[in-house]
Amino acid sequence: MTSIAPKPHRVLVTRTVAVGASLAAAYGGFLLFLQFGAADGLDSFDILRSALIFASTFWLAWGAVTALAGLTTRPPQVPRQTGPLTARTAILVPVYNEDPVATFARIAAMGASLRATGFAHLFHFAILSDTRDDTIAARERMWFLRLIADTDGEGRIFYRRRDKNKGRKAGNIEDFIKRSGAAYDYAVILDADSLMEGATMVEMVRRMEAAPALGLLQTLPTIIHARSRFGRTMQFAGSFYSPIFARGLAMMQGSTGPFWGHNAIVRVRAFAASCALPELSGKPPFGGHILSHDYVEAALLARAGWTVRVDDDLGGSYEEAPENIVDHAKRDRRWCQGNLQHSRLLLAPGLKAWSRFVFVQGILAYIAPVFWLAFLAASIAAPLFAPPIDYFPIESWPFPVLPVSQVSKALGLAIGVVGLLFLPKVLIVIDAASSGRVRGFGGTVRAVHSTLTELLFSSITAPLFLMFQTRSVMQVLRGADGGWPAQTRGDGTLGLGDAWAASHWIVTTGVVVLGAAQWFAPALVLWLLPVALPMVFAPVLISWSSKPGRSGVFVTPTDIAPAPVMGLQAAVLQRWNLAPAPLAETAAVGADVARA
Amino acid sequence: MMDLSQQEQFDLDRLADDLGALPEAPLAMPLQRIETPVAGGLLTVLLRLRLRPVPKAGH
Repeated sequence: MTSIAPKPHRVLVTRTVAVGASLAAAYGGFLLFLQFGAADGLDSFDILRSALIFASTFWLAWGAVTALAGLTTRPPQVPRQTGPLTARTAILVPVYNEDPVATFARIAAMGASLRATGFAHLFHFAILSDTRDDTIAARERMWFLRLIADTDGEGRIFYRRRDKNKGRKAGNIEDFIKRSGAAYDYAVILDADSLMEGATMVEMVRRMEAAPALGLLQTLPTIIHARSRFGRTMQFAGSFYSPIFARGLAMMQGSTGPFWGHNAIVRVRAFAASCALPELSGKPPFGGHILSHDYVEAALLARAGWTVRVDDDLGGSYEEAPENIVDHAKRDRRWCQGNLQHSRLLLAPGLKAWSRFVFVQGILAYIAPVFWLAFLAASIAAPLFAPPIDYFPIESWPFPVLPVSQVSKALGLAIGVVGLLFLPKVLIVIDAASSGRVRGFGGTVRAVHSTLTELLFSSITAPLFLMFQTRSVMQVLRGADGGWPAQTRGDGTLGLGDAWAASHWIVTTGVVVLGAAQWFAPALVLWLLPVALPMVFAPVLISWSSKPGRSGVFVTPTDIAPAPVMGLQAAVLQRWNLAPAPLAETAAVGADVARA
Repeated sequence: MMDLSQQEQFDLDRLADDLGALPEAPLAMPLQRIETPVAGGLLTVLLRLRLRPVPKAGH
């Protein structure tokens, strides 16, 4: 079998170059800003702002370097294996107040896709319900009966609902393993909105069989079924840019690859022996259940000597995503708390150094926006503390000495920051055009159009995410627990009223920022407009972007040629929507199944 | 008098429980030690810093 994992020395070189380049970029930004700020004399605000620039630039550069690394190689061409298979695999579908029709239709589709491989008898589905809402739970049971009647799934599709959702999703999976884990060699862990081709799952099992030290194999899920402007932007970005970033990640992963919590397969015995998570001491948000359990489980598997790997060549792995900015921000609030909670685990005993660095990356992802905002605030406040300009610094020299303009340094820094943000995306377009990958995105012209529109959209909405993330970080730091809100799925259209309710504080902040800048530092107003204007118009942006998008932009490969399993899912949904099973009928069908 | 719809729901729930029962094949999951005995790193301390109200002096 072709080796998928890069050689250890190449991993070390890639990691060293990536970290070194990011640090160098951050140091460059630091120096440039220090020179700019110190032109009128060095004060504490200059040092603070330069330090903030260092941390923020490091994070930006890290993203850019990952993409640049990903552009230097292609995913390995691994021939699919054939032959007999005996390993038994459980496909775990944890649900939490989800729509059972949509979720179970995906299971029926994946079941049909597995049947086409000839190995369906080796795969069992386990619907692991943590649903708290009794009405939804009743529908789950009803539709479960419909599911097994429709798919002849008795003995292959299981359903259980926990009385208490201890440990949330991680606890849900742990509960399954403790009860049924010994019956299976592998477990494919999904989310309620996950969809995978049967052939992909079979290939994942084969790769686990071929590599006995492999504890977890992660796929790169592609976003599908997005309808809104925001959703389609995310879907395009996920389909077009993410494979390159994932390639970069794969080059650096070594044996400590990522786990994103779903669309991955684990070796059950390795997972059982290494991944039972304790509650952290203290209260939430930093104590209690580990929220972002996936990163921790990946680190624990690596600690126990297992390999964790993302194989970016594996296709046929899909998920859905929030349809509007507010739902995205709600999910992000949970992830923010989970990632900041990892600060408790930075010194956990025995972890690999790279696992610790992955925790730092996660923390930086949420702290960096706060640093940017702090930088802006410090910049507005700086003129208040700056000493008056001394035009006659040389004694007994009768002519004034005009200060040398340092605007070029500020411009250089701004261009550098924008370059780190945009350059990878521009290079990805060029790469996609030269490799022919653009065909899946409607051709070169349409892919360029989509990329430019995405760049514009992400630039305009960036200040909104900056604000939402900053608020999340502040809430976590002051001890507020975000709880475990159910994921909002389906049509996410938001009216102006709802958008206003979710973002009026951003509008207020935008107005205050502009007012303060006008009052204290009028020269900054023009620089701040790209940040402050989207904040002032936040409700309009949120509402507008939640509406259905035009079909011409953001075309992705699954728009042009839907995956076979997507077709199966659509067929199941159509059948179920045409003939939704009433209670009595379902009971009768269920009874028939039971008798059979 | 028995509420037939409730009885129907009860039967349905029992049927779902019976048909959905997971295989009994227990596997141990030993709890992992992931917290360090020390109070925490610098970043942890920094992240946990927050303003606390202090009693006013005087009066």
